[in-house]
Amino acid sequence: MFDYQFFIEVLVGGLLSGVMYSLVAIGFVLIYKTSGVLNFAQGAMLLFAALTFVSLVERGVPFPLALVATLAVMVLLGIAVERVILRPLVNQPPITLFMATLGLSYVIEGAAQLLWGTQVHGLDLGISDTPFDVGGVLISQFDLFAAAVAGAMVALFALFFRYTRTGLAFRAVADDQFAALAVGLRLPRVWAAVWTAAGVVAVVAGLLWGARLGVQFSLSLIVLKALPVLVLGGFDSIAGAIVGGLLIGAIEKLAEVYVGPFFGGGIEAWAAYVVALGFLLVRPSGLFGQKPVERA
Amino acid sequence: MPAPTQFLKLARLAPSHIGVAILLIVAYGIIPFSGSEYLLDAILTPFLALALAAVGLNVLTGYAGQVSLGSAAFLAVGAYAAYNFNLRIPELPFLVSLLLAGLVAAFVGLVFGLPSLRLRGFYLAVSTLAAQFFVQWALTKFGWFSNDNPSGVIDAPTIVVGGIPFSGASRRYIFSVTVVLIATLLTARLLASQSGRNFIAVRDHETAAKVIGVPLLRTKLLAFGVSSFLIGMAGVLWAFAYLRTVEPAGFNLDRSFQILFIIIIGGLASIRGSFLGAAFIVVFPLLLSRVGAALLGNVFDSGVLEMSQRIVIGGLIIGLLIVEPRGLIALVDRLSARIPKFGRPQCSPNQLQNHRQPKGVI
Amino acid sequence: MNSVATVAVETLALTSARDRASGGMRGARIVPPDVEQRLARAAAQVPVPVLALENISLNFGGVAALRDVNLRVAEGEIRAVIGPNGAGKSSLLNVVSGLYRPDRGRVQLGDRYFTHVPTSRLAGYGVARTFQNLALFEGLSVLDNVMMGLVHRRRAGFLQQIVGSPWARREEALNRAAAEQIIDFLHLTATRERIAGTLPYGLQKRIELARALVAHPKLLLLDEPLAGMTLTEKQELSLHIRNARDSYGTTIVLIEHDIGVVMELSDRITVLDHGCKIADGTPDQVRADPAVIDAYLGVAHDDEPELAI
Repeated sequence: MFDYQFFIEVLVGGLLSGVMYSLVAIGFVLIYKTSGVLNFAQGAMLLFAALTFVSLVERGVPFPLALVATLAVMVLLGIAVERVILRPLVNQPPITLFMATLGLSYVIEGAAQLLWGTQVHGLDLGISDTPFDVGGVLISQFDLFAAAVAGAMVALFALFFRYTRTGLAFRAVADDQFAALAVGLRLPRVWAAVWTAAGVVAVVAGLLWGARLGVQFSLSLIVLKALPVLVLGGFDSIAGAIVGGLLIGAIEKLAEVYVGPFFGGGIEAWAAYVVALGFLLVRPSGLFGQKPVERA
Repeated sequence: MPAPTQFLKLARLAPSHIGVAILLIVAYGIIPFSGSEYLLDAILTPFLALALAAVGLNVLTGYAGQVSLGSAAFLAVGAYAAYNFNLRIPELPFLVSLLLAGLVAAFVGLVFGLPSLRLRGFYLAVSTLAAQFFVQWALTKFGWFSNDNPSGVIDAPTIVVGGIPFSGASRRYIFSVTVVLIATLLTARLLASQSGRNFIAVRDHETAAKVIGVPLLRTKLLAFGVSSFLIGMAGVLWAFAYLRTVEPAGFNLDRSFQILFIIIIGGLASIRGSFLGAAFIVVFPLLLSRVGAALLGNVFDSGVLEMSQRIVIGGLIIGLLIVEPRGLIALVDRLSARIPKFGRPQCSPNQLQNHRQPKGVI
Repeated sequence: MNSVATVAVETLALTSARDRASGGMRGARIVPPDVEQRLARAAAQVPVPVLALENISLNFGGVAALRDVNLRVAEGEIRAVIGPNGAGKSSLLNVVSGLYRPDRGRVQLGDRYFTHVPTSRLAGYGVARTFQNLALFEGLSVLDNVMMGLVHRRRAGFLQQIVGSPWARREEALNRAAAEQIIDFLHLTATRERIAGTLPYGLQKRIELARALVAHPKLLLLDEPLAGMTLTEKQELSLHIRNARDSYGTTIVLIEHDIGVVMELSDRITVLDHGCKIADGTPDQVRADPAVIDAYLGVAHDDEPELAI
């Protein structure tokens, strides 16, 4: 007999896990949509944000103040990155920019750990560990909280894009850089703002992931899970990032539980990639992606 | 005309031939005898292995324009394949195992290179990561590869060629030098031929290449195959001549990035650049740790060293991409062209304009 | 064409009349000698075109780039395709070179018909093209770039090339000689060892033309070959284009905006506007065509019967 309850449990767990992936992917999409840069350093930014926050809290700084301070640091980082790296490279091909963000990820990772040390930190956000029991299916409280936060963030961004001037500027630049220039939008300012927004996303994602995995170096590797999500959802769609994240999360967990035993387990390491690869071969611009981004 | 040029013309030797001769004399005649264990073991042997891997990656990414982020996977395939051939078919001469290991790596490279026919740029890069993770997982998960060692560790036996054991730092170095020299030479010939031109054509303008009749499928697969073959052999050197004890964790994403950084720092589409970049990557941490210890004393422990390394390497990548995207080799070329050598006319800076893509081959 | 149709109808009528006369015997098709002669002459007047487009239509997400376009280009002709921006000229070349698949219609190349031209086999069919935004291999030298135009003839495998087999070496030498010849023809000899990416725009355009010509193609498609050039450069290149047709017999279809050059250079001109063919004739005919004038100027033309060129 097929254990439906267990299946649902795994599925829900996977979906919620996928929400966490989406969080990271959204940071990517923000930057890619407005500047065409695939920011490999998103993971490093996540680590940096989490480390900064945790270190401040450990030194006795109250939670809200630490949060504000971390946000401020990420804002500064965003501005610095735009000024020092993006502006000189503005006309280079996308792959050059990608490699620059690769270098940037190394710099941020190194700086983060040089500043705050390399030990693992625990991060307690005050969510209990006991799972909810919904009709016999166990759902993690933390995962639900993360999903709620992600949902709130997406909703806020939606409002931001629709009702604020900066949000409008983001959309304009994302649509057509030249037209935006012609209308008088200052691209460097918009990009700095975008990287700051991505920094904010990094803080949120960093805190959530840090609470889940502990704040340690491997956090920066979460970015590698975001890539298949982007492949599925398209690099330039927030909706795609969400759906892609849910899909990847679910498929990963289900594959691990149902297919994994045939291989001795551990296929989580590459299942997402193989799925993304298979998908790419059929639909090279993803589920929601619009522009045919460098496909053959 | 200055005397040296006349002499060269008499002897019908080009300056480059002299250079090669000097290189060979130094590499075979001087270093093995006068070099310290440390120099041979910790600097030259890894340098050679990484340089060969970089040449391989350069063929794929620098010349053919196919981005690969999973090159360490092929290092691993080469190393483990050679180990298994050596272990399970003891009659096989080691050189044959070496070649077979390269072929296995080439085959795996072809399989993971197939997506390149439909994908480009970022998407291709993502699919090469699939190779990286899958190979690492497979080597750890399936004990057969490591002769049932629980963590996938393999102890490479001594290299034996024609009955002569190549043990000891000096001999392992000589083995590496020979393999790398021959492989590099053949690769250079490939790149100078029509195939090499096809690579550059596909990189520079794939649509035009298709229109004029470049066989895209064959060209891309050749690039993947040759690249993986070279990296696979580099993996054998890494495992047998350098570390002698390897595990899957040593072929992780950081290693892939290391090779990628080598070709960016050294210079894309440049064989000399691959060697220059490899030398830099090997020597730099040693220099940094000396300088750091001198300046900061006790504070500069291994953790600090590692982090500082990351920062400097990352910063260097960014800096190079901004200032000289063609890598260190372009800087070297520019500087050396200003030095009058053997009557070579001084090139004006205008003649060496900065342009994005460097000429192929050397 | 009408004469052929007339003759065909006549022949059929004649044949069926004879059939009836001979009691309906099938297969006894006797074509009278005078009709046979007329058929032969008619066929000679309409040789197989080097390029023909039959009812080509192309849509991009609702926007019609090409609407029912028909075109026939005879051998050795220099045909210009002109029209205001967005008229569909580049789309037309892209359909012919197989980079776009038309929604309807087919392309005829010599005696082959295609609903979707296989781009990778173009070179084998003797078709070559240049691109509007330059499609040079910037990392290769001028000579290497031009030699690439002959890559479809290479047969030696990569192993033979590495080893330097006699076959590989001969192919290389032959291609090199052919490339040198074209380089001479287009006055590029001085720069042949230079890296293409380092050269000025005008030279690069010429290199691309050289690469397209080196295989002596039967059909040459040029997408704005003179764009961005000075007057002198334009004159030189126009001369080279005409020489290519005169020396090699290449049929040329070119897209060009400089109407003066177009009038000078072309045998016939096809005019597109909003994806439709609005005129097709000799330069003089097109010059005086009111529909053409309308399309370019967009105004009523009561008192200006001729394009002042």
